[in-house]
Amino acid sequence: MIKLTIDGREVESPEGSTVIQAAEKLGIFIPRYCYHPGLSIAGNCRICLIDVEKNPKLQIACNTPVAPGMVVHTMNEKAEDGRRAVLEFLLANHPLDCPVCDQSGECDLQNFYMNFGLYDPRFREQKVKKKKAVALGPHVMLDQERCILCSRCVRFSDEISKTGEFGIFNRGDRAELGLYPGVVLDNPYSGNVIDICPVGALTEREFRFKARVWYLSSAPSVCNGCSTGCNIDVHFVLDRPHLNDGARVLRLKPRVNPDVNEWWMCDEGRFGFHWIDRERLTKVRHRGADSKWDAALSGIGADLAKLTKIGVIASSQLTTEELFLIREIFQSKLGARVAAPALKPAGKGDDFLLEADRNPNTRGAKLLGLDGTDAASLVTDALEGRLEALWVFGHDLTSMVDAKKLQELSQKLRLFVFSGTNESPTASFAHWVLPTAAYVEKDGTFVNKKGRVQRIGRAFPPLPDSREDWSLLLEIARRLNQPLSFRKPQEIFLGLADAETPFAGLSYETIGLQGAQLKA
Amino acid sequence: MNLSDLEPKAKEIIQRYDQRRAATLPLLWLVQESFGYVSPEAERWVGGLVGTTVSHVREVVSFYTMYRTAPAGRRELRVCMSLPCLLRGANDVPHEIEKRLSIRPGETTPDGELTLTEVECLCSCEIAPMAQLDEQFVGPLDKGALDDLLGGLTREPEPFITTDGPILSTRFKDPGGTWFDAYVKDGGYTAAKKALSMTPAAIIEEVGKANLRGLGGAGFPAARKWSFIPKDSPKPKYLVVNADEGEPGTFKDRYILERDPHALLEGMIVAAYTIGSHKAYVYIRGEYFRSAKRMGRAVEEAYAKGWLGKNIQGSGFDLDVVIHRGAGAYICGEETALLSSLEGGKGFPKLKPPFPAISGLFQCPTIVNNVETLSCVPYILRHGAEKFGSIGTPKQGGTRLFCVSGHVNRPGVYEASVGVTLRELIEKHAQGVRGGRKLKAVIPGGISAKILTADEIDVRMDFDSLIAAGSMAGSGGVIVMDETTCMVDALESASNFFHHESCGQCSPCREGTGWIHRILRRVTDAKGQMGKLQDLEDLLAIASDMEGKTICVFADAAAWPVQSYIAKFRGEFEEHIRTGKCVRTSEAVA
Repeated sequence: MIKLTIDGREVESPEGSTVIQAAEKLGIFIPRYCYHPGLSIAGNCRICLIDVEKNPKLQIACNTPVAPGMVVHTMNEKAEDGRRAVLEFLLANHPLDCPVCDQSGECDLQNFYMNFGLYDPRFREQKVKKKKAVALGPHVMLDQERCILCSRCVRFSDEISKTGEFGIFNRGDRAELGLYPGVVLDNPYSGNVIDICPVGALTEREFRFKARVWYLSSAPSVCNGCSTGCNIDVHFVLDRPHLNDGARVLRLKPRVNPDVNEWWMCDEGRFGFHWIDRERLTKVRHRGADSKWDAALSGIGADLAKLTKIGVIASSQLTTEELFLIREIFQSKLGARVAAPALKPAGKGDDFLLEADRNPNTRGAKLLGLDGTDAASLVTDALEGRLEALWVFGHDLTSMVDAKKLQELSQKLRLFVFSGTNESPTASFAHWVLPTAAYVEKDGTFVNKKGRVQRIGRAFPPLPDSREDWSLLLEIARRLNQPLSFRKPQEIFLGLADAETPFAGLSYETIGLQGAQLKA
Repeated sequence: MNLSDLEPKAKEIIQRYDQRRAATLPLLWLVQESFGYVSPEAERWVGGLVGTTVSHVREVVSFYTMYRTAPAGRRELRVCMSLPCLLRGANDVPHEIEKRLSIRPGETTPDGELTLTEVECLCSCEIAPMAQLDEQFVGPLDKGALDDLLGGLTREPEPFITTDGPILSTRFKDPGGTWFDAYVKDGGYTAAKKALSMTPAAIIEEVGKANLRGLGGAGFPAARKWSFIPKDSPKPKYLVVNADEGEPGTFKDRYILERDPHALLEGMIVAAYTIGSHKAYVYIRGEYFRSAKRMGRAVEEAYAKGWLGKNIQGSGFDLDVVIHRGAGAYICGEETALLSSLEGGKGFPKLKPPFPAISGLFQCPTIVNNVETLSCVPYILRHGAEKFGSIGTPKQGGTRLFCVSGHVNRPGVYEASVGVTLRELIEKHAQGVRGGRKLKAVIPGGISAKILTADEIDVRMDFDSLIAAGSMAGSGGVIVMDETTCMVDALESASNFFHHESCGQCSPCREGTGWIHRILRRVTDAKGQMGKLQDLEDLLAIASDMEGKTICVFADAAAWPVQSYIAKFRGEFEEHIRTGKCVRTSEAVA
C-alpha cells in the first residue's frame, strides 16, 4: 500500500492505483468525463486536473499513479482554476440546448458547471455546427454538437462489447463522433453507451422526450431477464401518468456490482420491461367471469383441502421466498407434486453477461429441491386423470400441449388455477385466474447462476387487485388452517435460511444491495 | 484493377511490421496510389487485412489530410498557405491560379486534369511561396514560375543550401544525393564500424561528453535519452527516427534525407546498437515523397553492402530498417503521436507515464530520435566528443542546420555552430533583410517559438540561450519579418495553423485553438472593424488557460505565439482593432 496525502488527509492506496481512485477512498470526488473505471484510461477531457506538490504543471488524477509521500490538492486555487478553464473549453462549442436535452438533470456538464465552473461566458464566436438527432441503431440517438469527445463510447465498443462501431472522425474541433456510414449500432450491449455518455450526446430513443429525469423515482432491483441477475435500478413515475401513457416504468439502468455485472447490462434486459405495464392481469376471474379475491381464496382453499392428487407448476421466475412457501405448503403439507421449470425458454447466451437460461432463479429452485419433477409429466398426469388439481404459476401450457388438449385438461381437473402477471392463453382455460405482482412490485430474492443471492427490492406496489405471490401463498395456508408465522418476505427468508444450509445465517441486511454468495 | 490484385503487395507490406495494424497507413497509401482515392470498399479491405473495424479505418483516413475519399484530378497542386510562404506572397498564388484555370482551392479543372488544394506548411520555406505538384516541390512561385508550372514545366528549385560543413552539410553538394560509394569514400561507416566494437555504455559516454542535444526541438540530451532504455527488459526494443519534419519554418531534415541519407543510416546503426534494438522505423512525413524514395534507396544499398540485416559486418549485430510514410498531420512530429501513427492509428499523443523508453512502440521500449540528431552521431564517433563539443557551447555541442526563411535576401539552409547569434544568421548568412528594409521581428525556432523583436537578435541560437531569452531554439527554423509585416495577420496565420493541426484529443487544445483562430479571423476580417479591445484580453486568457493542461505541448505551442505577439506588439494590435488598418494595408508592400 502507498501512503499519500490528498486535501490534507492521509490515505493508503494500492501500488499502481491512481489519484482519482485514492481520492474516492476518502470520499473526495474528482470530476471526470473521459475517465470510467470500467474502461481504459484516455486522459483527454482534462477535467480531473489536480495540483501535485513539487510538480509545476497540473496533472490529471485519472493517470497519475499514487506515489509514497505524494501531496495532492484537488480543491486549491490552482486546481480549481484549471478545472474552470477546461470546463469553459468543453462548453465553448457545446450548444447549451439543455432545455430540450434529455440528459438535463443527469448531465455532468451541467453538474460540474454548477459545482466547479460558474464563470461568465465569453465565447462570442460562431459555434461549430454538427449533426443532431442521428439514430445510430434501434436504441441510441446521437447529437454530435453535444458530444465532448470523451471517447467513452468508443472505448466501450472496442473494449467491452468488442464490436468497434464507434469512431471519432476528422481532427481538431472538426472531430466528430459517429459510426461508419451504413454501420448500425445494434450490438447486444448498445444501451450501455447511453449510460456512460456523460452528456446528452447519446440518448435513449425510447425514453427521449418522455420525462424529465427529475420526475423519475429510482429503486434498486435485479434484472429478471436471465440467470446472471444483473443489478439494476428501476426508474419509474407513479404520479405523472400523462408522461408515458400511464406506464410506470420508464427505463432500467444497470446498477454497479463488481461481482456480477460491473457497470453494464444487456439490451435484452434493459429494454425488455414493457410487460410490466402492458396486458397485465388485473382482475380475479372464475371460469371467465370477474370475481373477487375472497371468493377465489375460499373456493381454492376449500378445494385444496378436499383434493389429494395435486400438482403445481411453479417457475424459476418466482422469488426464492415464494418457491420456499410453495414447497412448504404444497409439497410438505398437501403432498403435492411440485415442479419449478424454466418459465421462459432458453435463448442464446454469450460469453459476457447474457445467459442462455432466461430465468432469474433457476438456481434458487434447484437449491430448494424443486427441480426434480418435470412439468410435462404433470400435464400428462392431469390429462390422464392422475391429478385432481393443478396450479400453474405464470406458465403458458400451450407451449406444451395444443388448445384442444388444454380444453380437455381443464375439463378433467377438479381445480385448475392460473396465477400470473400477464394475459396468457392458459388463463382462458383455467378455472381460477389470479393476478399477481411483477418482480418490481414485490420484495424477495433471486439466486443467480453463480449462487449469489440478491434482493429484488420493491420499486412500487402491485397494481390494484393483484397480489404478490408470497402474500397469496400465505393466505392460502391460512385458508387451509395451516397458517405460517411469516408476515413478509424478510421473515420468509429467515425461515428459509433456517431450513436450508446454503442460506444459513443470511438475512436481508447481510445480503444488502450487492447480494451475498451462498455457501457451496 | 481491383483490390484483390493488391493482395500480394499488401501481404508484403504487412510482414514488414511487428503488428498488423501498423500497416494501416502504408496500405491506405497503396490503395490511393492504385485507385487515386480510398473508397469505402478499400476501407473495409484495409480493416480486414489489419484486423480492425471499418470505423477505425475511417478515423485514420479522416485524420490525415493526404488521403482522399473521392476521386480527384489526374494531378494535384498543393499550395502552401503557412506563415513563411505568406510572408513571401503566398496569398496571391491561389488568386493567380484562379485567374488562369478558373478553379478555387478544393476544386478540379473541368477536364479532370488538376485539383487545387490549400495546405499548411510543406516545410519548403526556402523556396517560398511554394507548392507541390504531385510529388514535386516547386517555388518560388512568382508569376513566371507559376505560368511555367501550369504550362507543364516544373523546374528543380535551386535555393541556397550550405555545403561547407563542418558536420552535417559536407555532403550536400550534389542535389542528386550522396550514395553509398561516395559516402564510404568520404569516410562513411567508419563510425559505425568503431561503434560495433565498443560497449553501449562507452558509446553513451562518448555521445554524452559531446553534449549532443535532441535537434527535433526539445533539446533533450541524446545520450541520456538512450540511457533510459531498460537493460533487463525481455521485450524487443525499437529505434524510431522522427523524420516527420513539419514545424513551419523548418526544412533541414529533408536535405539530410535527400542528400546524405547514409549519414542518418550510420547514426541509426550506432543508436540501435547502443540501445539494443534490432528494428528501426524511419517515419517520414507524407509529403516528403522524394525523401522517402531516397531514404529507401540508401536502405537498399546498406542491405546490399552488409550494413543492414543480419550480422552487420560480421559483428553479430542485426538491424532491420523500415521506411514508413505519414499522411499529412503536423502532430505526428510529437514523438508519442508519431508512435500512435506508426501503430496504425490517428496521430494522438500518448499519455505519459509510461514514457516511450519504457513502453513506446507496440508497448515496447522505444527511443525516438530526430534525423539531424542521429546524423551528428557518426561525426562524434569519428572525430571524438571533444571536437564536436568544442564547435558548440559548453552545454550544447556541434552545429545545426539553421533554416532561414521569410523576409531575408537569401532564404536557405545554413550550417553553423549552435552558438551562432541570430543576428549573424540573418545579417551574414542570409544576407540581411530583403530590400534594405528594417527588421521587425523574428521567430527563432519554428512557428511555435515565442517571437523576438529586432533588438533581441543578439541572442545565441543554442537551446539554453534562447530559453534564457524567453523563446526557444525549437527546430532551428528562423522566420524573419520585416517592417511591412502586419503582426495581427502573422498571428492569425499562426493560429490558423494550430487550429488546422490540433489533433483534437484534449479539450483545451481542441477548443482553444479554434477559439483563438476565430477571434483573430474576426479581428483581421477584411470587411472592417469586427474586433474589440476586449478580444486581446480574451486571447491572452484563452492562451493562458490552454497552457500546461494537455497531453502534449502542442497547446502550449499554440499559446506562445498569442502571448508573445500581443505582449511585444500590443500597440499594433490595438491600433489594428481601433482603426481596422495595419502596416500591410497602409503602406505599399512589394
